[in-house]
Amino acid sequence: MNSISEFQHFIKQHDQLHIGTESDNTAPCLNISGYSGVVEYLPEELVITLRAGTTIRQVNAILGDQNQALIFQIKDLDQTIGEVFSCSGAQFSDSVLGVQIINGNGEVMNFGGRVLKNVAGYDVSRMLVGSQGKLALITEVSLKVLPKKFALEFYEGVSESGKRSELDKRLFDGLKKIFDPKGVFV
Amino acid sequence: MKFIDELLRELPEDIVLIGEENTRPYECDALTIYRQKPLAIVLPRNVEQIKYVLKICKDNKIPIVTRGAGTGLSGGALPLEGCVVLGLSKMDKIHSIDPKRAVATVDPGVRNLAISEAVESHGLYFAPDPSSQIACTIGGNIAENAGGVHCLKYGLTVNNIQSITMLTLDGQEYKLSREDKGLGLLALMNGSEGLLGVITQVEVKLMKKPIFAKLIMAGFDSVADCANAVTLIIKSGIIPAGLEMMDSFAIQASEEFTHAGYPVDARALLLCELDGDKEQVEIEINQIKELLSNASTLKVSADEAERLLLWKGRKSAFPAVGKLSPDYYCIDGTIPKRHLASVLEQISKWSDQYKLRVANVFHAGDGNLHPLILYDASVEGEVEKTEAFGLEILKLCVEVGGTITGEHGVGIEKLDGMCHQYNDQELSVFHQIKKVFDPDELLNPGKAIPVLHRCVELGRKMHPHNGNLPQPELENI
Repeated sequence: MNSISEFQHFIKQHDQLHIGTESDNTAPCLNISGYSGVVEYLPEELVITLRAGTTIRQVNAILGDQNQALIFQIKDLDQTIGEVFSCSGAQFSDSVLGVQIINGNGEVMNFGGRVLKNVAGYDVSRMLVGSQGKLALITEVSLKVLPKKFALEFYEGVSESGKRSELDKRLFDGLKKIFDPKGVFV
Repeated sequence: MKFIDELLRELPEDIVLIGEENTRPYECDALTIYRQKPLAIVLPRNVEQIKYVLKICKDNKIPIVTRGAGTGLSGGALPLEGCVVLGLSKMDKIHSIDPKRAVATVDPGVRNLAISEAVESHGLYFAPDPSSQIACTIGGNIAENAGGVHCLKYGLTVNNIQSITMLTLDGQEYKLSREDKGLGLLALMNGSEGLLGVITQVEVKLMKKPIFAKLIMAGFDSVADCANAVTLIIKSGIIPAGLEMMDSFAIQASEEFTHAGYPVDARALLLCELDGDKEQVEIEINQIKELLSNASTLKVSADEAERLLLWKGRKSAFPAVGKLSPDYYCIDGTIPKRHLASVLEQISKWSDQYKLRVANVFHAGDGNLHPLILYDASVEGEVEKTEAFGLEILKLCVEVGGTITGEHGVGIEKLDGMCHQYNDQELSVFHQIKKVFDPDELLNPGKAIPVLHRCVELGRKMHPHNGNLPQPELENI
């Protein structure tokens, strides 16, 4: 399974599924780690668009050839950019410019873009950072990149702690319903 | 009136403005072609007063337009008919400065520049610097995700906010922080144009002031050469603190206005600022000089006074152009930089066709264009013509892979442009997001996201007459 139409089909075929590389036993696994590679990269734009299954190792190699890098360094080189996107916080979302997603109804949508500045519409692409595969399947990510010497910071990830208030829950549930009305992504 | 009486029951009289005279100053923001008087303006001094306004408005189903300094360029703070303008300019306290963590906690009505002034003694500053920074407020900056000339290197507002405290319409306080796990709601609030909540407190990230800065000014015989220079600089691995471009009309207007010493014969001008430690800056200046071998004129600022003077020309470009025409209309599209020359050429062709002059200034480093269309609102049909021209430019920006707005926001002005950038499904997602945060749809309703009808009808939409825009919440059928 390695194309948008196959992912759409898989999502439409299932009442429940789990986005990731390992099944959690409750639902079939939608693993898109084979969906990798560069969609567009022009070093002078400081923007790279990647398929979500691209590993950090691959990203570093592609950018490194042009003496550029992600805005911070990620230690786990085998993680895919989709995994990093789904489990990160503000430090990562600082570099996010746009996404292509497939929602719970199997529909493809695009938010944000491939330019450094874009305030048209709510910032859905940054909002989805940290959504842990519960709202939508992230298929493509556009990121701001920098010349290597600027990327000094190490990526820290987000802490596991943090309790959720009633309002947190209400907002999460409300937002999940928008993207995944039938509760496909578990 | 019952509603006003209710407001006055718990609010001091001096913070509630009603009536023709008192409401006039609030009838528009910096996009002055659209005007509408609100029912009332409330200028709260504390969070309790904001909560009270929200409650009374919710009970009476009165829309609320939150406003900072009213410097927005897209009509985001334009009052809606029968609305309350919630003006936060009196909430202007800086609560604390923590130089160690490089953060400051401030009220939403604190001016952008006031933050940098307050932390200057610690060697710090707040990086986002929209041209209106002397007046605009931090709350407004967040609402628009404001940019400025230095965001290529130092980021947008969203990248420089540590946390915010906001109120939902039902008065619940909600804190969002960069440390949060889960959905990126802090990022979502940035650029949400007052449609999702009311920001009551902000923790801003501060940056170390650069020790040294120099500006290179280069004139070119063609726009293409100048655009090419931008690409060469970025490719070389240098990230300038600012990288701005102006076309010949903008150069001449600015020079006449500020006498900064701009080369008036040049077809395009590049301003490139380097900052950091002195040695590094000198090295980069030399590198860039070599990259600019195509330039017809080249000047490096000799001292701080000259650097600021050269910037002054650019920063005064809008008023300078404003002096040459009764009215001007500022466009805010952003494009991939590689299309700069071709997009400019097309704008110039349209300029001839529409018989409307255009001066171009850009944040070239991030591809953010600001074509200024000169027009005269008193000439019949010219406002419509200007808006049609503007929409052509925005459509072109989307076609080449860009966006209709880089930093000014959609507001009321770019609702039609939104129809070109997003499809119905995507727009529907935006509408649903609003409903999750604001089920009553009372926070700045009708702004930022077009109703789907509007997009369907766009082809045969009526244009505004004499500067009066049909209300966006009304269906355009």
